[in-house]
Amino acid sequence: MLKILIPTLMLFPTTWITTPKWLWTTMTAQALAIATASLTLLNWDSETGWTSTNPYLGTDPLSTPLLVLTCWLLPLMILASQNHISPEPINRQRTYITLLVSLQLFLIMAFGATEIILFYIMFETTLIPTLIIITRWGNQTERLNAGTYFLFYTLAGSLPLLVALLILQKEMGSLSMLIIQYMQPAPLCTWADKIWWAACLIAFLVKMPLYGVHLWLPKAHVEAPVAGSMVLAAVLLKLGGYGMMRMIIMLEPASKNLAYPFIILALWGIIMTGSICLRQTDLKSLIAYSSVSHMGLVVAGILIQTPWSFTGAIILMIAHGLASSALFCLANTNYERLHSRTLLLARGMQAILPLMAAWWFIANLANLALPPLPNLMGELIIITSMFNWSSWTIILTGTGTLITASYSLYMYLMTQRGPVTTLITAIEPSHTREHLLMALHLIPIIMLTLKPELMWGWCF
Amino acid sequence: MAARLVRIFPACSRVQLGSMPGARFLSQTPSPGAAGSPAGCVLSPADRNDSHGHVEVSCPFFSPQNRDFHGFHKEPQVDVWNMKVAFFFGISVALVIGGTFVHYLPDHGMRQWARQEAERLIKEREAKGITVLDCNYYDPSKIILPPAGDEE
Repeated sequence: MLKILIPTLMLFPTTWITTPKWLWTTMTAQALAIATASLTLLNWDSETGWTSTNPYLGTDPLSTPLLVLTCWLLPLMILASQNHISPEPINRQRTYITLLVSLQLFLIMAFGATEIILFYIMFETTLIPTLIIITRWGNQTERLNAGTYFLFYTLAGSLPLLVALLILQKEMGSLSMLIIQYMQPAPLCTWADKIWWAACLIAFLVKMPLYGVHLWLPKAHVEAPVAGSMVLAAVLLKLGGYGMMRMIIMLEPASKNLAYPFIILALWGIIMTGSICLRQTDLKSLIAYSSVSHMGLVVAGILIQTPWSFTGAIILMIAHGLASSALFCLANTNYERLHSRTLLLARGMQAILPLMAAWWFIANLANLALPPLPNLMGELIIITSMFNWSSWTIILTGTGTLITASYSLYMYLMTQRGPVTTLITAIEPSHTREHLLMALHLIPIIMLTLKPELMWGWCF
Repeated sequence: MAARLVRIFPACSRVQLGSMPGARFLSQTPSPGAAGSPAGCVLSPADRNDSHGHVEVSCPFFSPQNRDFHGFHKEPQVDVWNMKVAFFFGISVALVIGGTFVHYLPDHGMRQWARQEAERLIKEREAKGITVLDCNYYDPSKIILPPAGDEE
């Protein structure tokens, strides 16, 4: 673990000491080296689950794919931000990169935490750099509102979690994840116990987000700059899923009854947010709502707690992280050229930028869960386990899959096909940087198709 | 359609793009309408002195002097180096070497071994003609149960 943490910490001196001319080059190189080193975490050498342990940090097959995804995303964020940040003064560029690196550091410690309190502290700490990125580097006035929604939705959900964790520490004596999995489950019969159950999960449900408490997400994703949108969609949402998967193991047996409203909300949210996607005029908003839709499926899978549904949840989280981040990068390539996110403003782009259209195509195919990509595998596994839990869910999940395919195709056809907008008379050609960025997003998805056992988690 | 394409492609590749090298032209519709502000469409303030109604958004990096702009840095030398570094560390190191490392990881949880062992046993049992899998692990005729009625 230290071989990842120490180079990440050393990114701070690199940011501030490198000469301005070579800042982005060195950051890209170092971040990619860290990402390569993080692949060594995939070597799980113990059969008990937890590896790389020291008293505070450890990895297991659930946290490792998310850790690797986090480490992989930092160089991608740096590549994506390079163009729109470079006109700014050098110290502001350095501050921006420092925020991205600090976010990376907190996320590594969050996913590697073995104590739930350390996970909670890191969960909260990631809010601060994200808030600063959204409110300082966002492009529209709505960014302040977006930052407020983002911060207070998450805080309001997670303060009850702090109380619940303190209660748990007092009752059980320890909050180490290695110990909690073997504890006797509490009977959870009184009203206070039920509120404690809810307090354990609300923070993560808000973060996922569950439909109903999802209002912060479209605002935050849309107003954030591209690196903010990427890290929000790819990793921060998965913090909620990861936390839920850790906590829900010890919330049995009350979860059998208490989880019903949340499962229903999650399934209904898939359809509702998918339908909203079909009516969006703002491209980033469409991608943000599609994230809510996919995460609704993950929430439903985690709440029913079967081995297959956990497996499907992890696979879908990783695959969606890469695909959604790719779509935000593509939306940003449009935004940098036209300074608008309106869907209708940039039509027929295939005729103008055909190679970028190829990336649009693959990213949208990944989003609509085309086989054999892991997006489909995760969705299918969750849908199957939900069908096993209750046959009626197939109506909701099946309709959700249909709507997902509809809006993904809609997004592709609106931006790439059709007549070229007469408003556009001259567009800058695609950069090599943008093509590399898309390749580094989409090639790992294809490679993961070939070795899904990296993502299966510890249940399969 | 062809007329629109002819307008677009020469504008990108032609050396002369008007007075400002590397300039992009965005036409400004008279009334952007409701689709303008909510999605954050920020067109640069129109140059009212410009008689043909075009808005000039300067793109200082991609220019006739820097035709091989890769998107990394405005100086061509740094741009090329950044491109090489990004591709080397991103593709050659991370994807290729990292991918090879991941490919040769040991069989965690003996899952692949379990699958291969099951296939081998099935083949062996089918060759011998015995049942492949029986619901009883032990032979029920060999289990000796205590007589009923002796429960104390």
